[in-house]
Amino acid sequence: MRPETAAIHAGFVSADRSGASAVPIHQTVSYAYPTAEEIAAVFEGRAPGYIYTRIANPTTSALEATLTDLEGGIGSIATASGMAAIASVAMGLVRAGDEIIASAGIFGGTVSFFENVLGRFGVRTRLVDAGDTDTFGRAVNERSRLIFIETIGNPRMDVPDIRAIAEIAHRANIPLVVDSTVTTPVLIRPGEFGADLVVHSTSKFINGHGTAIGGAIIDTGNYDWSRGPFPDIEQLSKSLGRLAFLSHLRNLICRDLGGCPAPMNSFLMLQGLETLSLRMAKHCANAESLTRFLSDHSEVSRVSFPGLPDSPWFERARRQFGGRAGALLTFSLGSKERAFRFIAALRLAKNLANLGDAKTLVIHPSSTIYHEFGPAEQQQMGIEADMIRVSVGIEDFDDIQKDFQQAIEQSSRI
Amino acid sequence: MKLIVNGKEVSLDSKLTVSELLVNQHVKMPEMVSVELNGRILRRSEFGTTALGDGDAVEFLYFMGGGRGTDGTTN
Repeated sequence: MRPETAAIHAGFVSADRSGASAVPIHQTVSYAYPTAEEIAAVFEGRAPGYIYTRIANPTTSALEATLTDLEGGIGSIATASGMAAIASVAMGLVRAGDEIIASAGIFGGTVSFFENVLGRFGVRTRLVDAGDTDTFGRAVNERSRLIFIETIGNPRMDVPDIRAIAEIAHRANIPLVVDSTVTTPVLIRPGEFGADLVVHSTSKFINGHGTAIGGAIIDTGNYDWSRGPFPDIEQLSKSLGRLAFLSHLRNLICRDLGGCPAPMNSFLMLQGLETLSLRMAKHCANAESLTRFLSDHSEVSRVSFPGLPDSPWFERARRQFGGRAGALLTFSLGSKERAFRFIAALRLAKNLANLGDAKTLVIHPSSTIYHEFGPAEQQQMGIEADMIRVSVGIEDFDDIQKDFQQAIEQSSRI
Repeated sequence: MKLIVNGKEVSLDSKLTVSELLVNQHVKMPEMVSVELNGRILRRSEFGTTALGDGDAVEFLYFMGGGRGTDGTTN
């Protein structure tokens, strides 16, 4: 099945016999069994079955099956949010005294979780420059337990060399975790470049309409859990092979942290997946057009987009993302004040903290998503005070261009 | 033809694909099972096209919750 077909059909494996042509929303907390023996067998793992929606749910299972297929993985777990996915993966791999290596240009919420939450439990995070692949190797030591990167750093717009970083991780015998939220399986399957675990905020392009929060973890099957520095997962691998980590998450970490998706949200993600490839094509085309318009505009001082031929990431983005570069870009009008006036003048694009919506979205990262980080930290993360982030939507491009043109003109008037 | 299914020897009268084996062995909740063939987890899309050979080792695995079980067969 080609990905466009799999996105529509792969998850539809429900045992539902009503003939429903959409995946049913199993809006239930729990699952009844006729006998005490049968439910005991499921609890003990001697028989498969649903127990409680915090652990698994048939609607969510359909979403997980579709994501597994689209990523070419061996299994998936859907979560309540992208942060729940990242938190579950990290907490499933690290203990006090361990270290995480992460690219510095990643989402501020992820950096905050690693440093401010896991830091409270004795886990250290080393932030390195995604553009300098060797820095990952230099950061590795015997306490390292995972390397974390984003396919395109948000909002730094840097593109790490996934294959080279996967080789560094594997030489250190640790997994590479790749957040592919901004690229989705339509642009890249990180597993084909050596990534071991893929995480998504499905709230973004996968949902596509800004209607539900969700996340997902996909094991690509590349990492041999019987040989890593994770004794409890190694123990599980004796009976579950490469599914050991997903079982570790499902039956301990995710189960006990409780970040499960609502069945309704899993349904909305499945609906989003059906049109994902169509939307990504339009998102990416509009982003290229908007980048050309902004680059040629005399009032625009800087544009950062990996699809720009003069971007330092252009060749790598082409190689990794099949000629497309996503729909996220940043630009500057020269000052924070002009950025604020521009945002206030927009009529079509919305000013909010999200990306991947059908609507064009903007935000001033420095004063919002990154407001809790100081100037030095913001600089390390690639956040400039005058930077505007744009998530380019799927509206008619002429309407997006007109809106940006008039808002840029208004931003120059004081 | 003989297979090792979840560690036990199983004799079959004819050659089967993985999809056919799921039916033959009355595997519970086949939509949720992961299949490991000779140590490699198969993609779901491979179930219908992967023919089993004499001596193959097949494991039916679940990570759907509850315990950490491996055996979803009824027999």
